[in-house]
Amino acid sequence: MAASRFGVFQTILMLLRRWRIQAYMDLIRMTRDFKLYLITVVSDTLLNLSGVAAVFLIVERFDGIGDWSPPQVIFMLGYASLVTGILDVLFSYNIMQISRRIGRGQFDHVMIQPQPVWMILLTEGFTPFSGGISLLTGLGLTGWAITQLSIDLTAVWWLWLCLNLFGSCAVVMGIAFFWGTFAFWSPVAAEEISSQATRIVFQLKSFPLDGLAPFLLNTLLTVLPVGFVAWYPSQALLGLRENPLWMTQLVGVVACMVALLAFRQGLKQYERTGSQRYVGWAHRS
Amino acid sequence: MSEQDRNATSDGPIAVSLEGVSKTFYQKQRSESPKDILKNMFNPKIREIQALKDVNLTVRKGEILAYAGPNGAGKSTTVKLLSIALAPTSGRVRALGMDPLRDRVNYVKRIGVVFGQRTELWWDQPVSASFEWARVVWDVPRDRYEKTLGFVKELLDLGPFFNSLARQLSLGQKMWADLGLMLMHEPELLLLDEPTIGVDVLGKRSILGFIKTLNEEKGVTVMVTSHDMDDLEQLAGRIVMIGDGRIAFDGDFSELRTTIGDRRPLNRIRFSLRGPRGIGVRVTVTPTGSTPLRCPFPSCSNKHHSKRRCCKSRRIVHRSTM
Repeated sequence: MAASRFGVFQTILMLLRRWRIQAYMDLIRMTRDFKLYLITVVSDTLLNLSGVAAVFLIVERFDGIGDWSPPQVIFMLGYASLVTGILDVLFSYNIMQISRRIGRGQFDHVMIQPQPVWMILLTEGFTPFSGGISLLTGLGLTGWAITQLSIDLTAVWWLWLCLNLFGSCAVVMGIAFFWGTFAFWSPVAAEEISSQATRIVFQLKSFPLDGLAPFLLNTLLTVLPVGFVAWYPSQALLGLRENPLWMTQLVGVVACMVALLAFRQGLKQYERTGSQRYVGWAHRS
Repeated sequence: MSEQDRNATSDGPIAVSLEGVSKTFYQKQRSESPKDILKNMFNPKIREIQALKDVNLTVRKGEILAYAGPNGAGKSTTVKLLSIALAPTSGRVRALGMDPLRDRVNYVKRIGVVFGQRTELWWDQPVSASFEWARVVWDVPRDRYEKTLGFVKELLDLGPFFNSLARQLSLGQKMWADLGLMLMHEPELLLLDEPTIGVDVLGKRSILGFIKTLNEEKGVTVMVTSHDMDDLEQLAGRIVMIGDGRIAFDGDFSELRTTIGDRRPLNRIRFSLRGPRGIGVRVTVTPTGSTPLRCPFPSCSNKHHSKRRCCKSRRIVHRSTM
């Protein structure tokens, strides 16, 4: 609807322009103080590695987890880091933590920009330089694991990897936006709900879920689909199980559709009540 | 005819129109009593707040409209209805020939909004980067951008801090930069909600002067809200006063002075606007047209006098007791 009004070509052009200006602003922010940039790179790398360290140490101690060999687990950890990296690159500035923007009344700043809401949310958090550090960690871990594994690296496999990464990111964003919608109704109580939801996802994403009780496993693949952030697609890509390679994308699309329906209801609420408070904290910083 | 008068009686096409607009908000009320915990959770009392009640208002193109009233009168609600996709409970809002809610994308291309104490600037970026960002977001052609930037930089004197980080600016500088930023796409309608709040006297003067110049040179329609009547009087020809969600006065400043029968600075009269019944009642109840005087003497049962002498004590009631 919005796209037809805007024109498909103009929409793509505007998306690219917005991403370019955000990339430029991110670059000048990162390079303004080179020492600060180096500190950020080192601290972010350490943070990313520490996020996967627990599982890595268990793998080292027991020479794998269940059916998973050490390189396979490292592949899954790398995949999980890639998901975090892509999300950091695309959805910084509290886009992923959307409940903060809504709860703090900063959604008003979105509404005064002359583009459809989806386009603003897709572009305003683009930080390829400062957010790209987790992506590099993920690439490093995944790359090392691939060299250790006997995977038939065809173009189709790489395509499935990209599609699965897209699906996993869509799952996380679906969860973040679905829960974040509650901030339209309860701006104070739900201000941090997206960050809490994504924190649960990111804490659980690095663990192989094999051996869990069926009820728990099904819960982590349906109600809170954490299993699709790294475990399920890694199994499919490594051929550990007969998992369909398209399942993660399907779940990602469903998660986004549910989030979209909820978000539209939230926008209707916003039309009725507007922002009930305004806090300038962390707006565009 | 002075510029103010011209603005006050502008007969250009209508830029903004509110027809019978009402806006109601609902607030949950919760008592602090422990026995009401369950009631607060499941069935809290709902308070209905009528922010706007059947407001009819038109602003003509090229006009500067001052929109004044006490806290909670409905000023910001009106600005939000015209800027950030807030729907009225009833009535019709049109601006620049569009419905601000349904035609949001096309509409916000043609307006500029500045909320005092909110900023559109990117906090950790130089001011110049925020301007470049605005150029892209509002899709301003490069040559038009350079021309407007030159005009804005000169008029607002942005040069000295144009390459400073937004977080290092003073409140006044931030407001100038925000004003400049919102003008880069050359809006036809500028909505300013408390633009001078927290800004010192010199800063205020500079901002007000800029708005006036902008209106005169570019013909931008301006709707500005403020508590400060002196600021508004310097700036606008026409003033709309809102109290308790209703329009209490709509006219020029000289008419306002005649109506309230007072020659003192309008800021001194501000106190009378904060009465529980709103300015509309206070201004119009006196048959003679003069403002009623509140009697300061406790023994007097007649709390308001239309004359300057207390009916009981026979002592002079000063206007400062209003």
